[in-house]
Amino acid sequence: MKLATRGMLDKGFTVLTGLSVVALTLVLIAVLGPMVYRGSSAVLFTGTVEFRKMQRDLFDRSNPKRLSAEIAETEAARQEVYRMVDAFKKGIDIDAMSDRAREINREFGRELRHKDTPTEQYTELRSRSRDIRDKLSGVFSSQDIEAIEAGVEEVLVHADDPNFQGTCAEEFFELARNFRDAARQVDLSHYHDYLVALEEVELVLFGSDERNGLLGPRPEEPKRALAQVCYGATRMDQARQLLDRLLVAEQWVPQEGSESLVKVRTPRVEQFKGTALEPLFPYVESNLSKLLNPRFTCYWQFFVDDNVNSHYFGGVGPEILGTILITVLGMVFVVPLGVIAAAYLVECSSDGWIIRLIRMCINTLAGVPSIVFGLFGLAFFVLFLFPLLGFEQKPCILAASMTLAILTLPVMIRASEEAIRTVPMSYKEGSLALGASRFRTFVTVILPAALPGILTGVILSLSRVAGETAPILFTGAVSLGPVPKSVFDPTRTLSYGSYDMAVGDRLAMMVPHNQYGMVVTLILLILILNAMAIVLRSRVFKKLKGH
Amino acid sequence: MQVSATANDIKKSDVTTTVSVGNRPAPQPKAPATECPCTIVRSEGFSLYYGSKAGVKDITMDIYPCSVTAIIGPSGCGKSTFLRSINRMNDLIPHVRTEGVLAVDGHDIYDKRTNLVSLRQQVGMVFQKPNPFPKSIFDNIAYGPRLQGVRRKGELQHIVEQSLKAAAIWDEVKDDLKKSALALSGGQQQRLCIARALATRPRVLLMDEPCSALDPIATGRIEDLIGQLQSTYTIVIVTHNMQQAARVSERAAFFCLGELIEYDKTTKIFSNPSKKQTEDYVTGRFG
Repeated sequence: MKLATRGMLDKGFTVLTGLSVVALTLVLIAVLGPMVYRGSSAVLFTGTVEFRKMQRDLFDRSNPKRLSAEIAETEAARQEVYRMVDAFKKGIDIDAMSDRAREINREFGRELRHKDTPTEQYTELRSRSRDIRDKLSGVFSSQDIEAIEAGVEEVLVHADDPNFQGTCAEEFFELARNFRDAARQVDLSHYHDYLVALEEVELVLFGSDERNGLLGPRPEEPKRALAQVCYGATRMDQARQLLDRLLVAEQWVPQEGSESLVKVRTPRVEQFKGTALEPLFPYVESNLSKLLNPRFTCYWQFFVDDNVNSHYFGGVGPEILGTILITVLGMVFVVPLGVIAAAYLVECSSDGWIIRLIRMCINTLAGVPSIVFGLFGLAFFVLFLFPLLGFEQKPCILAASMTLAILTLPVMIRASEEAIRTVPMSYKEGSLALGASRFRTFVTVILPAALPGILTGVILSLSRVAGETAPILFTGAVSLGPVPKSVFDPTRTLSYGSYDMAVGDRLAMMVPHNQYGMVVTLILLILILNAMAIVLRSRVFKKLKGH
Repeated sequence: MQVSATANDIKKSDVTTTVSVGNRPAPQPKAPATECPCTIVRSEGFSLYYGSKAGVKDITMDIYPCSVTAIIGPSGCGKSTFLRSINRMNDLIPHVRTEGVLAVDGHDIYDKRTNLVSLRQQVGMVFQKPNPFPKSIFDNIAYGPRLQGVRRKGELQHIVEQSLKAAAIWDEVKDDLKKSALALSGGQQQRLCIARALATRPRVLLMDEPCSALDPIATGRIEDLIGQLQSTYTIVIVTHNMQQAARVSERAAFFCLGELIEYDKTTKIFSNPSKKQTEDYVTGRFG
């Protein structure tokens, strides 16, 4: 071959390898980038005053002076929202108003009796109040604005009557006026739509027993049972989503001539055009930061906090602890086992059929799906071995780490075998020539020299063990529960937690940042554990090389 | 060591051949140390087979204490095989079989009752390529004594210092015994390996081409060292370098194709060999 051709080929090869490295890096970034970005929002985000309230109540962590100032500020801005909602509500809620009218009538009767009104006057006033009540009921159920105006006029005639003044009957007239005001503003033929829309607006603003609102429950509302719904939007991204739902109504409307539904988005401003609620929407939109007081937050406690309401709030502290426990314990089991097995395969074996069988078993073990290991762990460790040894027959950290150790044993054996094989024969000869036994030679000379290679096996196993879900599904992982006190307790782990959030209820949809946060924490944890092992390996390597 | 004991321990039935090639000096009661008549390593009709292939055939020679014995010969002639047989390093190779007698200090080392550990502590070995362990200099030297059960720090330090001084490397490494042995140069590493072998206080030191991986200066230092050590140790050295054999050894054995051709005083081997083959080899006409 010509020298020029060879040079070209060499260059081409270099370019090819360079390109593949670049492609690999790009793929890695494409895969990890979005995940890390989303996961980081569990720790770094714009937190609102509601977040700080939550931190104060659930984690006892706040700056009381500053927080109370913030709460006062936001409450002041929120008063306007409350006022607008109430103003609209009192004129439109017809059922409530009819009920109220009946109540007033009864109360008025009681009041009259209480004042010892003469029987004649009592009968007359009672019949008049009944009359007003019936007229009001008529007015409330009417949809014709003129009839309403007339009816309200008729009721208001009695307003100047001294017999009614200073009594609870005055509220009749207030109801009538409110309703007339509302009726002038809205199209009463659609009053039911208004009610539904109002309910939606209230749900988005204040939440309910099941959902969070933008601002959280109103101050006068009794405390809700679940901690997760006691607060408004704790994060700005959440707040913006809720704001969108507040500003625009989404309805699924049946299409003509077709069975499919079509999504129709209507701005609420149009929905409530001309009513007392109309200014609410621009107000909330433009004053969002006053209402919520957002501030950049670094919630580093995500990595130490326990969670509240199954990961709705809080962090992944116990999960990290559990993952580390299971991983480290798994390593404690797998490293000696793998090294001893590798030592046997390299040092003690001739090429007999037993060795071939063992090798085949190891290779098969490497190809077994991890869920099979999970069931094996349940059947063997938890149900068979533990009762035999007198332990409690329940999934626990010990069983989980032993199952994981078996799962990763082939990796460990192969890496160790390779490492032991690459130790120069001259070391072994040197040691034997000094009179050392084979065991002594292995332990004092070969093993230390093989340590970097064995640590490579540890690194490979470590990532596998920390990330596996299926083997610990039945043998030691729980989605919720106390922090383990010993290795005989089950634990939460990051891998199982991520799985549980993903397949669980609508939680993952409501708090995606926590789910991604958990996954990214797992990646980070594996990275840190690996980095530690790599640093250890390079130090051992340097020591062996004598630099 | 008693001559009578040597003779008693060798079972005559094991001896297949009794052709003695070596020029064995008659016992002289007042001989100098280097001319000591009693043998320390005695080979009688010793053969070693790798499976069915013979490594060495029918070797009968005596090695005398406190002297340097060189084994020379072309590649693949079984020099190293014979040398490694003396402390049973060939046991590492599967399917090895021996015949005849190889006795160290009067004990047949291929006897089933032989304690390999004590044998190898008596018969130290230095390999072709320096092979210090990836440990500190101190730990390398202390490896043998520790195997013998020496645990006291002071005693270990003493042994290490003595061994390093004996191997003429003490001055170069005394300030940094904690340093990894792999950080030393090739020549230093080889002297360290010699020191490591000396630390178990062996009676015999086997050297398998100890200078073949070293430059002339390092080789010179090792040769000087061998000269110093021969007053205290029995040294058997395998070498390709005939000048080296002539320089350092007192006796030389010429091996060819697994057989011992001639064994005599080095001066005689190089000046007036009795066999044609030997003459051809040492004069460079063959090999």
